[in-house]
Amino acid sequence: MRPRDLVGLLPLALYLAGFTVVPVASTLALSVSAPGGGITLDHFRRIAGHYQFGEAVVNTVAVAGIGLALELLLGLAAALALIGRPAGRKSLGAIRTPVDWVGTRGLALFTVAVADAWKVTPLVMLILLAGLQAIPGELYEAARTDGASRWRQFAAITLPLLKPALTMALIVRGVDAFRIFALPLALTGRGLPVLSTYAYVEYLEYGNPHTSAASSAILLIMILLAVGTYLKLAGPEEVLR
Amino acid sequence: MRAPTSSMLALLAFWAVGPLYLMLKVSVSPPGEVMTARPTLLPHGLTLEHWRRLLEAGQVLPPLGKSLLTAGLVAAAALLLAAPAAYNLARLPSRWRYGILLGLFLVRMLPEVGIALPVAVVFLRWGLMDSVTGLVLAHLTLVLPVAAWVLTTTFLAIPREVEEAAALDGCSAWQTLWRVTLRLAVPGLTVAGLLAWLFSWEEFLLATYLTLGAKTMPLQVYYYLYQGNWFLTAAAATLMTAPVLLLTGLLQRHLRATSLAGAAR
Repeated sequence: MRPRDLVGLLPLALYLAGFTVVPVASTLALSVSAPGGGITLDHFRRIAGHYQFGEAVVNTVAVAGIGLALELLLGLAAALALIGRPAGRKSLGAIRTPVDWVGTRGLALFTVAVADAWKVTPLVMLILLAGLQAIPGELYEAARTDGASRWRQFAAITLPLLKPALTMALIVRGVDAFRIFALPLALTGRGLPVLSTYAYVEYLEYGNPHTSAASSAILLIMILLAVGTYLKLAGPEEVLR
Repeated sequence: MRAPTSSMLALLAFWAVGPLYLMLKVSVSPPGEVMTARPTLLPHGLTLEHWRRLLEAGQVLPPLGKSLLTAGLVAAAALLLAAPAAYNLARLPSRWRYGILLGLFLVRMLPEVGIALPVAVVFLRWGLMDSVTGLVLAHLTLVLPVAAWVLTTTFLAIPREVEEAAALDGCSAWQTLWRVTLRLAVPGLTVAGLLAWLFSWEEFLLATYLTLGAKTMPLQVYYYLYQGNWFLTAAAATLMTAPVLLLTGLLQRHLRATSLAGAAR
C-alpha cells in the first residue's frame, strides 16, 4: 500500500475526528469534571436522583422495544410481500372510539413508537429485502418437492437465512431508537422524556452542561452495549458484507 | 401475484400514504371539520385559508430558504469529502477496508446529543450560531459515514478491469477517473447525494442546538405545532414534504433496493 492510496481518506477522517470524536470525548469529559477542576461522579449522582431521568431511561428502552417489534414485523411482511415468498396472514382491528393518543404514559409510549415505526419501516424493509434477494430460489423449489408447507418453508429456510439481515436491521434501528428525539418532543412536548430530550432540556432549559453530558454518556454506554452485543453475535465481517 | 400478496401490498401502501394524506387534508380543511371528536377521513369542505395565512405571515419563507441552502450545500460537501475517501476505500486490501468501515459504522452510532453540546458551545464562541455554515458543518458529521458507505459499495462494484482497459486505450489516470470511473459511479453518487440532502432537510436535533433565531424548516414546523395550530403545522409540513417527493420522484430511476439497503444502515 502506498501513501497516495490513503490521500482521499484523509479529509474525511480528519473531519469526523474533529467534529464527531472530539466532541463526544469532550462530552464525556464534561460529564465527570468538577466545577473547580478534578474528576467527580456528582453529575451522575444528581441525575440518578432526578425522577425524570429514571423515567427517561425506561421510556427510551420501551419506545425502542415497541418500535422495533412493529418495524421488524411490518418490514418483514412488506419485504415478503414484495418478493412473493411464503408468509402467514394477519388481520387488522378497527378503532371506533375517540382516543386521546398521548393522554396517558402507556398510550404516549405506544403512539411515539408507532410514529417511529411509520417513519423507518421502509428502511427496515429495504434491509430485509436485500437479505431475501440473497436466498436462492432453488431452496424453495426443493422444499416444495419435498412437500414442505408454506409455514415450514418460512421457518426452515427464510428465517434462518435472513438472520444476518434481521440482526443488522435490529441493531441499526435499535440504536436509532435509543437516540429518538424529535418525535417524543413533537408528539408529547415534555410529556414523555427520553434520554436525548432529557439531555436537551438539562442543557438548553436549565443551562447545566454537566448533567446534560452525564445523560449523554449514559446514552452512549447503552448504545455501545447494544453494538457490542451485536458485534459479538454477528462478527464484524457480517456487519460489513 | 397472489391475492394475499396484493392485499398486503395495498395495506402497506395505505400505511405509508395515510399520514401524508391526513397532513394534506388538514391543511385544506375548514377548522370545524378537524376540531371534532370524530373527524372524517374523506374531505367535505375545501379551503385555502390556512395556506394563505401561512404564506402571508412571511414567517415560513426564510426557514424554507435556509433549509434549501443548507441541504444543497450538505449534499455537495458530502460528495466532495466522501467520494475520494470511498474511492480509496474500495481499492484498499479488504482487511483495511473492513476496519475503516467498522470505524465509520461506530461513528454513525454515537449519540447526537453528545455531539451537539460541545459543538454548540464552540460555535457560540466562533459566532456560527444561526449560520448556514455552522449547520452545514454539523450536518456533515451525520451524513459523511453514510455517504462514504454507499459510495464504497458503488466503487467496489466498478471492476478494476474497466479502468485497466481505459488505461490501455491511452487514457491518463485523471482521464480514466473522470471519464470512466466517475461516469459509472453516477447512480451511487446520486443516491449518496440524495440521502445527504434528505438527512439535512429533516434534521432537527443539531438545528435545535445551533439555532437562536433563524429557524430551519423542521424547527418552523415544530414552532407551529408548539403553538397548537394544527392547520399551519399541516400546511408547513406539506410544504416541507413537497420537495422530498419531487426529488425522490425525479431521481427514482437511479434508486435500486440494493444500493438503498446499504444506505439504510
